[in-house]
Amino acid sequence: MDFTFTEDQIAFRDAVSRFFMTEAAPEQLREVWETGAGRSAALRKKIAEQGLTALSVPEAEGGLGMGDIDWALMTQELGYYAIPDSLADTAYLAPGLLAGLPAGHALRAQWLPRVVDGSCRIAIGHPVNPWVADAHLADLLLMAHPVADGCELHAVPRAKVELTVLPSIDASRRLFEVRWHPDTETRVLDGVAGAPQWAATLDRAALNVGGQAIGLAQRMLDLATDYAAQRKQFGKPIGSFQAIKHHLADVVTEIEFARPVLYRAAAALAAGEPDASVRASHAKLACAAAAWTAARKAIQVHGAMGYTWEVDLQMFMKRAWVLDAAWGDRAFHRARLGAALLDAETLPSIGPGTTFA
Amino acid sequence: MNLTETPEERTFRAEVQAWMAAHLTGEFAALRGCHGPGEERFDAALAKRWEQELATAGWVGIGWPQAAGGAGLPLGKQIIFHEEYVRAGGPGRLGHIGEQLFAPTLIDFGTPAQQARFLPGIRAGREYWAQGYSEPNAGSDLANVRTRARLDVERGEWVIDGQKVWTSWAQEADWIFVLARTEEGSQRHHGLSLLLVPLHQPGVTVRPIRQMTGGAEFNEVFFDGARTEGSLHLGPVGEGWKVAMALLGYERGVSTLGQQAQFRHELDLVIAAARANGAAQDPVLRQRIADAALRLATLRFHALRVLGAGGASHAAYTAKYAWSNWRRDLGQLAADVLGRAGDVVRADDAARTRLQQVWLSSRADTIYAGTNEIQLNLIAERALGMPREERKGP
Repeated sequence: MDFTFTEDQIAFRDAVSRFFMTEAAPEQLREVWETGAGRSAALRKKIAEQGLTALSVPEAEGGLGMGDIDWALMTQELGYYAIPDSLADTAYLAPGLLAGLPAGHALRAQWLPRVVDGSCRIAIGHPVNPWVADAHLADLLLMAHPVADGCELHAVPRAKVELTVLPSIDASRRLFEVRWHPDTETRVLDGVAGAPQWAATLDRAALNVGGQAIGLAQRMLDLATDYAAQRKQFGKPIGSFQAIKHHLADVVTEIEFARPVLYRAAAALAAGEPDASVRASHAKLACAAAAWTAARKAIQVHGAMGYTWEVDLQMFMKRAWVLDAAWGDRAFHRARLGAALLDAETLPSIGPGTTFA
Repeated sequence: MNLTETPEERTFRAEVQAWMAAHLTGEFAALRGCHGPGEERFDAALAKRWEQELATAGWVGIGWPQAAGGAGLPLGKQIIFHEEYVRAGGPGRLGHIGEQLFAPTLIDFGTPAQQARFLPGIRAGREYWAQGYSEPNAGSDLANVRTRARLDVERGEWVIDGQKVWTSWAQEADWIFVLARTEEGSQRHHGLSLLLVPLHQPGVTVRPIRQMTGGAEFNEVFFDGARTEGSLHLGPVGEGWKVAMALLGYERGVSTLGQQAQFRHELDLVIAAARANGAAQDPVLRQRIADAALRLATLRFHALRVLGAGGASHAAYTAKYAWSNWRRDLGQLAADVLGRAGDVVRADDAARTRLQQVWLSSRADTIYAGTNEIQLNLIAERALGMPREERKGP
């Protein structure tokens, strides 16, 4: 077993990180929070120039033909910089659904090249989420429609949906109730063909949210570590006190133990392993738990400052909190794991880790 | 990133399985699942014969370089060996400290003469080692070591006086590496040396310490004018601290994967007990069992990732803290699964006795090899680079 990434993967990640560092500084993020301005077409274009939107699109359709393992790194960057844009929906989940269509399908040719060049936004409506992120800007909505024999896939233009905005405690989020009517014109896949596509989308989405949660946890940890080195009490940096150290040591431990779970899930998705869903649920739970711990400890270390609006920490905390409920809350993923691990027949030798391989 | 086993690794796994099935039989069957001297049924002579059985087949020193007499197996195969060893019920390794901790340090820091003298005995399963670090006043504050050694120039020998404590398996060992103050009046981590001292001599007294589990895995070791040859210092005289710390680094090595396979085995015992007594139907206990399984998988992924990165990553510092918490929680889970029956000590139910051992022994995990509090300080200062707290000592 080899958990190391290639030099190319690391270099790509580092380039994206440097890009976000300048283009998505906390001041810009704060502006998104406070002005209600939403998304910037200019930023999306620049992101596309970095190659991020091409990542998941097959090479034949102008993309880079990479996938889940690369996204396990990239989503951490999206989280670390709290990129408010629902980028992964367009660049990761939508190409997954579209590339799952038969070769030569008209939708593929119509949308995949536009995903690559950053000129379109695709919103995803999955039954596990009651609301759709960034639906107001979407050029296309890929909507799930549960039916008796599975789950249909519909491609719905924005003109055919009605939207109601739902403000979030994460003020950079743009969530919408979407009312729409499935018909034969919008239907792309029937229930039987659509079900596995939507199941795979849920797993990728869990990985995406998990990766962002780890990125957010790392950011909160970094903010708290810096604060503890600068803030002085009793004549010393508060970070020299064991009580403070132990809070943050707990956070880094939880992060370091969640990361390989995320990577294991990404490898399972990439290889199409039969237990990929279990691994994805495990990853989302482990990463979200790390983010919750990071938030709790980081605000404690910041003291009263952490409770203020003006200190950046609150933006990262709130994003971590709301993401935890997206794409299946903890109860949902625990139930999926419970079914796989504790099924009466498998209980004596529990779950996918049994062979320890 | 490649997380699937190669065909060659699968073949090797089958090889280890077959060897264990063929050899952990006959007189050795009595050792199956036996952890070590902490258990009443432990038979030291038999355990040593088992070590020699392993050695003859070439399973000792599998990770050492070939030049040092090892097999030089790649990481993947070492991991597989440790996993299959435990899965087959292989007993606690009496040779562990020599093979896994001392030998790698000897290979890195020892002179050719020291290596030629000590590696073959370890490799053959003939010589056993103990670790002389902690003292009554040097626990978490290890730099407060007071055991002292002076060089008897006339006889060219070190003379050692002092006391070590919590010395695992010293009652079965032949040699001990002793962190001792060789520079009179030196402070903290200065002026220490790591001396290699024979245990079977008049100046050494080993006294087992009875644990709350009832068994005695560790000991007090008293040095009263004990002697060793003047050349038997590992690394330069006065720089023992550096060598002693390097040795601790090997503790985070490949054998942790074998330890996790042991944990897996213990978890399976808990699950079997839960099924047998109906606790597996309790929704709360079911959740906790599932959590334990997931957290164990996580420990494994983490270890593989750290080992794959050469063990050097900051993530390595978090390993001990995480596994000790896991096993403490497993002990609690074992107790809760047993319920009232867990309070009864009677020899009528081997599975219950075993789970009681898991439960009681788990209380040591967050304390030995660096308490949780010490681990958290290390993580904060080394992984996060937080400001060091001023350390003072007499």
